[in-house]
Amino acid sequence: MKVKNLLLNIAPLIGLLILIAGYFVIGRINDINVAYGLKTIVNQSVVVAVVATGAVFIYTLGAFDISLGASTAVSALMAGIVYLKTESVGLMFLTAVCVAVLVSLLNSVLAGVFHLPVFVTTIAMLSVLNALALLLLNLGGTGSEIKVPQAAVKSLDTLWFKLLVLGAYFLFCFFLFDFTPIGRRQKFLGGNPLCAKLTGISLNRYSVIAFVICGLGVGLGAFLSIVYAPTLTRNTASSVGMDVIIAIVFGGMPVSGGARSRIYAAVIGAFSMSFLSQIMVMLNLNSGVGQMVKAAIFLLVVFIAAGERKMKTLPR
Amino acid sequence: MKKKLATKVLSLILTGIMMASVTACGSGADSSSAGSSATQKVADPASDAGTAESTDAAPAEAAVPGEPFKIGVLVSDATSAEALGRRHYLEDYIAKAYNMVFVYSDELGDSAGEKAAIETMITNNCKAILSESSFDRPAQIEQCEAAGVYYAVGSGALDAEQYETYKGYTYYVGSVGPSDATEFETGYQMAKYYLDQGVRNFAIFGGATVYRNSMHVNRVAGMLKAMVDAGGEGASYQGMTDPGAIIGQLMADGEAKTGAIGDVTLSGYLGGYDMDDAWFAKGAEMVQAPGVEVLLAVGSGSDFFGTATNGTDVKIASVDAYAQDYYEAMANGSLDYLAGKFSAYDGPVFMALYRAVNGNPLRDPEGNAPAFDIGYWISTSAEGCKEMLDLDGDIDHPVWTMEELNALYDADYAAFEAFVGDYAFDRIR
Repeated sequence: MKVKNLLLNIAPLIGLLILIAGYFVIGRINDINVAYGLKTIVNQSVVVAVVATGAVFIYTLGAFDISLGASTAVSALMAGIVYLKTESVGLMFLTAVCVAVLVSLLNSVLAGVFHLPVFVTTIAMLSVLNALALLLLNLGGTGSEIKVPQAAVKSLDTLWFKLLVLGAYFLFCFFLFDFTPIGRRQKFLGGNPLCAKLTGISLNRYSVIAFVICGLGVGLGAFLSIVYAPTLTRNTASSVGMDVIIAIVFGGMPVSGGARSRIYAAVIGAFSMSFLSQIMVMLNLNSGVGQMVKAAIFLLVVFIAAGERKMKTLPR
Repeated sequence: MKKKLATKVLSLILTGIMMASVTACGSGADSSSAGSSATQKVADPASDAGTAESTDAAPAEAAVPGEPFKIGVLVSDATSAEALGRRHYLEDYIAKAYNMVFVYSDELGDSAGEKAAIETMITNNCKAILSESSFDRPAQIEQCEAAGVYYAVGSGALDAEQYETYKGYTYYVGSVGPSDATEFETGYQMAKYYLDQGVRNFAIFGGATVYRNSMHVNRVAGMLKAMVDAGGEGASYQGMTDPGAIIGQLMADGEAKTGAIGDVTLSGYLGGYDMDDAWFAKGAEMVQAPGVEVLLAVGSGSDFFGTATNGTDVKIASVDAYAQDYYEAMANGSLDYLAGKFSAYDGPVFMALYRAVNGNPLRDPEGNAPAFDIGYWISTSAEGCKEMLDLDGDIDHPVWTMEELNALYDADYAAFEAFVGDYAFDRIR
């Protein structure tokens, strides 16, 4: 039983290692540019990994934020506008983080005040943020784009900087999640909210904390988005919201949160997705087919995870 | 317990079958769908040729002057008639003729998508990028220059400032497409065609003018300038008669202002591509307004407003490409004038990339990357449209064949420029 549990716990990591091995083997057969490909994978994973790592705190509570992509976009657009006004990269960074945290806080406060499921408030927030993004494009840009000069962020568009941001944020979250009461209590709340409440743990308080930490990740993701592609449009970060959900599940995070939540699920999931995408390209699978294969794997992962959990979940 | 196990196993088998099925589908004929920025479709002419042996012969018997390689194609529009036509030419003619592989991006929506797509293409050994997506062309050029991958703009052009910046880059191959001046002239001639017939009341669909897209801004500016010229003494648009001033005003406003231009009236204007009910209602209101005789569209006017003009005398003029839908629209009267691109538009730019990758880059006499201008085919009748459509759609004998393109392999700048400029339908047919 212990071996089975261990295998289930490290299954996402094994999956990632298999994908990495597959990438190198198929890459060698197809004679691809492996070094450039690895850089590509980091570039295409890092924003999702950062945002998803923060989102783990929300998912651990058994909640679900659907507005993360839109929040990333609005934070990036606001930061872009601030840069165009001030020409300060530092202020741009601060704006991205502050706006993202504020949006996140608003989500949690709305859920707390109106006693609504977080999912519902984030759906409303998604609409508001999408409209706000269009407004910002009109106010601060040409109506279709806000263009931060590439020269302003070029020095930061390096693998080392991106990995540094991801590493620092991951360690911060790892510490909070695994070595402080914050993580333990959130797992408790996610696993059995009633029992947690009876022991004096406040759902509202830990919701706010989770959203603030997630907002920090969204802000960092927004900043990294600008660094990667400084021409911002209504489609900026449009896929991040869905990619975060997929990455978290790919990484082995239980969708219902609770005690089996893992902070590293997001990073493993984000990189697994990118390796899988690159393998699809190498196998000449067009995107429609690739998406379906990913969907099938997604279902498979959830099925295995849910099947293992069904008999163990405490009554809620 | 056994029942549960059986259910699990059955579910796993079904999932496996689903995966196997979709994978099998993908490994077959894959000519219709595009890949995402991270997952792209690869057109493999070698395998295609193998399966097509009994149907289509190789496009040409002429010797290929250089070595084949992979080209990544960035597209922000994967489904329009224009995009499909050009893709058909590249994948079904050029790829087979030159044994090339074209790796298409998915329909790109922003500059991050463009960058990710280029990264994936370079990873997969694309030696050149043909860009038909313009969210951030400077970033694309810089990225390709840094990676040592050749880059060209297809069916478009850099603006003057961008061209000055990048014309000397080693890996910037150049552009073949309508310049801003050509776009202006296209709008001008479209409006003039009706003004010469005595039409005095227009509506304009300005498309991406609201996003300050220079292509659409110049087309609208050309239309307005034609109205100014035909509007009689003292006619002006917002007090302006100079093309540069009109373009500047459109860039500032993001739209054309309705009102009198001398004795010509611009009754209605609609921009953007909201495509929701409210937007279509505005469009219907615009074309059905009293007095409107012609809708001048910077894009596909008949697709968006053809239904609204049914049962009216309002004529529609569009800029797009030669496609069956437009012939049918012309035949049934919902389209009256078409300035269209043809499918082989990308032939010369392909040859420019082909030369560059094979160590024979084309430069102008000053040593800069070329920016070749090319215009549209104009048709004002269903018969004329059909004639152009038939020529454009003949993939065995396309507008620009392998033999003609081969002649460009060693051509100097002047000869290349003359070839591209000689695109008129009457000459080619």
